Amino acid sequence: MSFSGFQTMLGADALESSNFLTLFAVFMAVCVVMYLLVIAALLIGMWRGRSSREQLTVESGRHHETEPAFRTALIGWTALILVGLTALTIASFFTDRSNASVAQNPGLTLKITANQWWWDVEYTSPDSSKMIRTANEIHLPVGVPVEATLQASDVIHSLWIPNLAGKQDLIPGRTTDIQLLPRKIGTYRGQCAEFCGIQHTHMALDVTVESKADFEKWVAAQQRVAFAPTTPLQLAGYRYVTTRECSACHNITGTPAGGTIGPDLTHFASRRSIGAGTLPMNTGNLYGWVADPQSQKPGNHMPTIGLEPADLHAVVAYLETLK
Amino acid sequence: MSSRFPNKLAAVALLALLCGCHRDQQQPRGQPLGETVPAAASPDTIFPGGATPAPLDPRAADYEHNAYAIAQGQQLFTWMNCVGCHAHGGGGMGPALMDGKWRYGGRIDQIASSIADGRPNGMPAWRGKLTNQQIWQLAAYVRSLSGQVRKDAVGARADTMSNTPPQTETIRKPVEPADSAQ
Amino acid sequence: MRRILAGIVAVVVVATIIALVLWSGRSHRAIPATTDYGPASSAKAIAAPSASPPDDGNWTMPGKDYASTRFSGLKQITPANIGKLQVAFTFSTGTTEGFEAPPLVVDNTMYVVTPWPNNVFALDLTKPGAPTKWTYKPDTAAAAKGVACCGPVNRGIFYDSGKLFLNLLDGHTVALDAATGKEVWRTQVADIQKGETVTMAPLVADGKVLVGNSGGEMGVRGRLTALDEGSGKIAWIGYTTGPDTDVLIGPDYKPPYPKDSGKDLGVSTWPPGMWKIGGGSVWGWLSYDPKLKLVYYGTSNPGPWNSVQRPGDNKFTAGVFARDIDTGKVRWYYQSTPHDLYDHDDINEIVLADVPGPNGQRIPAMLRPSRNGFFYVHDRRTGRVLSAKPYSYINVYKGVDLKTGQLIRVPSMEPKEGVVLRNICPAAPGAKDWNPAAFSPVTGLVYIPHINLCEDMGISNANYIAGTPFVGADVKMYAGPGGNRGVFTAWDPVAQRKVFEIKEDLPLWSPALATAGNVVFYGTLDGWFKAIDAHTGKLLWRFKTASGIIGQPISYRGPDGRQYIAVASGVGGWAGAIVTADLDPSDPSGALGFVNAVKDLKNRVAAGGVVYVFALPQ
Repeated sequence: MSFSGFQTMLGADALESSNFLTLFAVFMAVCVVMYLLVIAALLIGMWRGRSSREQLTVESGRHHETEPAFRTALIGWTALILVGLTALTIASFFTDRSNASVAQNPGLTLKITANQWWWDVEYTSPDSSKMIRTANEIHLPVGVPVEATLQASDVIHSLWIPNLAGKQDLIPGRTTDIQLLPRKIGTYRGQCAEFCGIQHTHMALDVTVESKADFEKWVAAQQRVAFAPTTPLQLAGYRYVTTRECSACHNITGTPAGGTIGPDLTHFASRRSIGAGTLPMNTGNLYGWVADPQSQKPGNHMPTIGLEPADLHAVVAYLETLK
Repeated sequence: MSSRFPNKLAAVALLALLCGCHRDQQQPRGQPLGETVPAAASPDTIFPGGATPAPLDPRAADYEHNAYAIAQGQQLFTWMNCVGCHAHGGGGMGPALMDGKWRYGGRIDQIASSIADGRPNGMPAWRGKLTNQQIWQLAAYVRSLSGQVRKDAVGARADTMSNTPPQTETIRKPVEPADSAQ
Repeated sequence: MRRILAGIVAVVVVATIIALVLWSGRSHRAIPATTDYGPASSAKAIAAPSASPPDDGNWTMPGKDYASTRFSGLKQITPANIGKLQVAFTFSTGTTEGFEAPPLVVDNTMYVVTPWPNNVFALDLTKPGAPTKWTYKPDTAAAAKGVACCGPVNRGIFYDSGKLFLNLLDGHTVALDAATGKEVWRTQVADIQKGETVTMAPLVADGKVLVGNSGGEMGVRGRLTALDEGSGKIAWIGYTTGPDTDVLIGPDYKPPYPKDSGKDLGVSTWPPGMWKIGGGSVWGWLSYDPKLKLVYYGTSNPGPWNSVQRPGDNKFTAGVFARDIDTGKVRWYYQSTPHDLYDHDDINEIVLADVPGPNGQRIPAMLRPSRNGFFYVHDRRTGRVLSAKPYSYINVYKGVDLKTGQLIRVPSMEPKEGVVLRNICPAAPGAKDWNPAAFSPVTGLVYIPHINLCEDMGISNANYIAGTPFVGADVKMYAGPGGNRGVFTAWDPVAQRKVFEIKEDLPLWSPALATAGNVVFYGTLDGWFKAIDAHTGKLLWRFKTASGIIGQPISYRGPDGRQYIAVASGVGGWAGAIVTADLDPSDPSGALGFVNAVKDLKNRVAAGGVVYVFALPQ
């Protein structure tokens, strides 16, 4: 399985992750300095120990006194710790503030609901007819602050897009949120970061950060209803999908298929992966997925139907039109 | 201390054998690829001339006391809107499923047949809309609503948020179907 | 020592005061019979002259007249002589489901329609015992029972120009010849495969037969269909959701408030595509003003019950339409409950009456005790709300802003997924469900039989599969404040207040009948048919029928000149489903939550289907 995306905590591709990286660097610097000093003190103590040790016995009468240098060192050490910790606290505080400030004026609002084992993504809008619903992917315009509300429908999940931000849990019965301000155009990979069941590993999120113009194009494409079938094979697939098992769980806007249990398929073919990052999106994988999803992602909620070959060809042909 | 170990080890090994028990077997792909539902497990009726009813389908045992099947059935019961007509066993548009009265038979294969083929007074026909394995899983859950299945197979919590108490916390006096087709 | 003593005395005094306060505020165990709120005002509402002709002794439509007054002008039965009221004859229909329809009486023939299978009987009132003249059996599809949310009921037939008009549960409208019972035409207006049924009573006026579909809990697309009276062909269809061309909104559309004006609101106030399965069905009552040529009706709740799935105002559900009867075009629309959260449909009856205005003029108005708990009075020409006062206990709405027409919600009572919201008042059936009130122009009061229920509700994701419920909610209902589940209110629509109130143990699911003899009739779920004084509410007479009463009582003049009262006795509907469908009371969420509110009903009443006719002795 290969991803063109990049999945690293050190990517610094958004405000949150670059804040994190800065904070990480500050922590590293302070801690490295302290570490070196501690090692130095340890070495000094070990080297000086033999000679000065016998001078502090009861008989010598000098056990009440401490060497002036020792006392200065202790005071200096305490002061160094205080300064260091204060610096770290202040740095952490300002990082949090910077991350939270994104929420004040979001340019985009998302609602992400985590299910076993897929992500339900809604782009909300005060005009409800302009809402977009997709699954297992998010597109973000670069430089626009995003506020995402997070919910879960069954067990605790956690949203983690390492390139962009830290982890945030999605807890059933509660609403949490995360702020994102992407800075670099590119494709990234998010992952569920809280063990949520048998297919926790195959619960990835395809993240695309693109220019504002490209994002508007994507939004416009998502607001369209599903393409109608044109060839007879696609029509046969459309008939199967809207009247048989598929429509019991999946929604394709503009068709009678209105299921809300599984991912929205209206623009399924435009996604990068199948099954929340289980397989890359291509015709062969689509055949394999539709024919036997349990072999690719055993235990997930899409059943293996056992399609007849003709039906399989028709369904895949129709699904590929859903761009 | 080392003299006590062999006995402890044996005890643990014995326990491990029990873990191969049936109640938690999972076959997510259906067994094998593609399950079937009896074409028409007949509701209770007269068998003229001394004829006998067909024996209980052998798959009944596989599904009826299998915790995985009951848990999947519980999820499907909400997802496929069974709860909209039958509530959580009490009924509404559809009859109650938690009592002992079965219009079309209360054995698991009769229930699976009712789900697959529909029934004349408004039960929809789900064959072709659900896989046959899903239909068996739903039938196993429906059996559990009237307390017919083993207590250790019933789910202690639903796999999703639930507004009603789990089955292990409700009174579980089994309500046998009134008819004799058991 | 003294300080300790002083402390003890202070504590004793404070405790006594607290105890006295609590004791005086205790709720009374016994349900008082009648609570009087003072006399009615002298300024009175009168029946709309164009829609309410003088009584001819017949009962030709479920609401008695186009104004839906349910008022009989016969005055032989009075509080003085009603003690002698006795059964004249009975008629068993052979069906034991919920009987919500009134019998019709036209020229000494009584017509009775049953719930599924929707048989129609014609009884000859001129002969002793009212023998059957003819029977019509339409063979309504049994599968329709599987998609009827609240009992396979029928709310009535309509007589016009020698024909009877009947809706079948499986989505057909039928015209019968009233003399012979033969079918004249049959038209399909709804599709059970999509979860649609028809339970409402048609309204026939101006050559049109108006029929609405049911299925707000099944993800249907609500609409009102107009058929040609002679041929049964579809003349126009006014949808509740969708683009303006489907809803029939054109340049004549003049809503009373800016909140209900705009283009294609039936699409723009919904997430993409959800208006196609958004409900707004038309399963309740229609009224008609022949002078303005407007038909008035309300629409059902939006679907699903889980409001989180459908952000937006969800037009044009849970509101009132005024349509031109010839073209179906909308003249005005008022949304009583935008973005409904609790299944508060707006299909309740609309009484057309004229009320006195502030300058002594007469305003053509409409009175409606709505499901959301407010008693609305509108100017029926424009839809403007003249007053909206609560006639029941409400804790989810604060009021109606008369300037903007907006319903003001209580923000903390908004349901969220994953959390159970408790003590929602009024519950899903509202302060009053479909069972209509009666209006007496003699007293000027509206007699409202209704309910006092609150509920807990937990919403979750609803899945849409055509032909199955589209709800997404677990509900548990119980009695509201006071402990009584039913209440009968006499309301003064001009003074906007209760005049008297009668508490009932069981929810009241029966309509009311008002007569010019100043007697008001209604029935209870366990079968008591009651008559009360129209001025004071005092119980004058009661009779225990065989089964619960949820049907419209009527009054007619028999061939011998006596005044007769007729009512069907057959429990059922949403409130009686636990009896007719034999539900299990140990699951409180049964019947969409109603089972918990009437757990005792199975012990008190059984299903039935008998028409009782009463009269004074000769």
